[in-house]
Amino acid sequence: MKQGTETKTLPQRSRIRQFPFSGIIAAVVLVVLIIIPFVLKSPYFVHIFIMIFLFGYLATAWGLVGQSGQLSFGHAAFFGLGAYSSTILYMETGLSPWLGMLVGAIVAVIAGAIIGYPTLRLRGVYFALATLAFCAILQMYARATQFIGPFTLGSAFGLWISPFSGAEGPLYFQFASKTPFYFIALGMLVGAVSVSYLLNRSRIGYYWTAMRSDPDAAESLGINVGRYRLRTLLISCALTAIGGSFYSQYYYYITPSQVLDLGLSLKIVVVGIIGGWQSVLGPLIGGFIIIPIDEVLRTQFGSSVPGLHLIIYGIVLMLIILFVPKGVNDWVMRGLRWIDTKHWRPSENANDKLERQ
Amino acid sequence: MAEQVTAALVAGILLGCLYAVVAMGLSLIFGIIRVINFAHGSMFMLFLYLGFFLWHLFGIDPYLSIIIIVPVAFAFGYGVQYVLVRPMFLREKAYVLEPLGVLLLLAGLELVITNGVLLGFGGASRGIVGSSISGVIHWGFIIVSRPRLIVALVGIGLSFGLHWLMNRTELGNRIRAVGQNREASAICGINVHRIYAITFGLGCAVSAFGGCAMLPFYTLVPGVGMGLAIKAFIIVVLGGLGSVRGALLGGIIIGVVEAVGGQFVPGTMAVIISLVIFLIVILAKPKGLMGLIEV
Repeated sequence: MKQGTETKTLPQRSRIRQFPFSGIIAAVVLVVLIIIPFVLKSPYFVHIFIMIFLFGYLATAWGLVGQSGQLSFGHAAFFGLGAYSSTILYMETGLSPWLGMLVGAIVAVIAGAIIGYPTLRLRGVYFALATLAFCAILQMYARATQFIGPFTLGSAFGLWISPFSGAEGPLYFQFASKTPFYFIALGMLVGAVSVSYLLNRSRIGYYWTAMRSDPDAAESLGINVGRYRLRTLLISCALTAIGGSFYSQYYYYITPSQVLDLGLSLKIVVVGIIGGWQSVLGPLIGGFIIIPIDEVLRTQFGSSVPGLHLIIYGIVLMLIILFVPKGVNDWVMRGLRWIDTKHWRPSENANDKLERQ
Repeated sequence: MAEQVTAALVAGILLGCLYAVVAMGLSLIFGIIRVINFAHGSMFMLFLYLGFFLWHLFGIDPYLSIIIIVPVAFAFGYGVQYVLVRPMFLREKAYVLEPLGVLLLLAGLELVITNGVLLGFGGASRGIVGSSISGVIHWGFIIVSRPRLIVALVGIGLSFGLHWLMNRTELGNRIRAVGQNREASAICGINVHRIYAITFGLGCAVSAFGGCAMLPFYTLVPGVGMGLAIKAFIIVVLGGLGSVRGALLGGIIIGVVEAVGGQFVPGTMAVIISLVIFLIVILAKPKGLMGLIEV
């Protein structure tokens, strides 16, 4: 091959990788999602979509840590801290959960720093084990504690928010129908995915790529791996805590066995892994796959066959890790790229073939 | 007060040996294969259930059931390593194992086992009544239950037995060789994947051996595995990942903190103290108290 043709093909090839219709597809999906609550009137379907968005959001936040090359089994802890913070502040001081949410995020960030600072410097599984232990211990503590200082924690029975008594209304994150929650959850999801996308495009995104493929090499190039992993974790903690506050306002009821549970941590993990952790859109795709299955299984078999949905999570998790380690996102991207090269850009496809020869 | 603390100290050491039994197998597996067996607690719980049903259905004494449960545990661990974890090793490129992938794989196994037991046997708590050894021993003001004392002795015995196996036998030499350098061992003609599977089986068998000794007084629910596993994770990091005797030391520290701390503060606070100790140790000495693995 002549020198000239080679230099010509290079920029085209790099454009193929940045797949061209992503903007259009994202816009179409978003419009469909905005129309859905006006078409599907059934609250049950709206509820399922809210759960898809919430878990897509949580898994995206969790996936940030994954993109930095670490694995958290304790995101339920940060979720629970957010849920408890906003609820306690609303019940004790009447502070609007919109603001309590931010306090919850700060609390979760502090907790994340305490867990992350000693463990994220280390390679291997220390962080995963520490988050797991933190989550389990926080749940034990919340179950056994009725009061912390002046605040009621409610032990294992949890906390009820009685809606529409006293301070109420949209200013206090209380809505009569599910539709506002739908749009808040959708907004949160779009926000989290945007954060993930923008971080990927920024300097820290390149650090992530370097850190997760080889932390030692990254360190030798002057990237402070521990520091950037900690920063990533703190962003993730704040986002997760906001998700927790949303959950507590959506259900008006939180208990340690719901919001601080290891099962919740693992659910976030499964959603993230199926879609493809270490990718931007993976967690979102995972939410769309696993949450409808989960909701149907729980409503159909939840009372008669306890633990069935968790068994299915476990099997799916093992199969994905063994056979599709990059997640379903990888298939989707490959499919789109295949369509792109086969049908939309035959000329570049020909170039591609030439180069391979 | 001094008497109470001394009694709590003894109780803590006994409790710590019980935790150490679970942690030892975990630490052995990590030390050689560099894989954290996330499903260790649930596998342990499964062996405890097996022991319970051997007693319940056939009337086999828990201490006698060791001769059945330990080989079963070995075979189960061998199978898990060979069927589930080995493909991850075969897939990896440039001999760098993605440890988080294996961790997730075993987390999936944990979910399947725990909830499979819940599905099969229900969530009711079970326990063995009337095994061959029972009762208490009085040493002055200290009262020790005999089955718990046996668990402690078993734990200490297992740690020395493993030390002997690893340092004084041909198999132990091979296992340690593979743990130190996989490629060099393979060049020397050691079947690495077989050694890995044996190690995994051995780790399960060690924990199951101790589990049989726990059966006479331990209350079984499907969730018991995860609770013990979380303690075991803390203990192995505290004692040093990969060190079997470190696991014994770490177990005793955590047991004593829980029991003695429980005299002064509520039980849950004592558990939080153990987490704080864990974080301080990681901060100050990431290798753990007797760690072998560089981090």
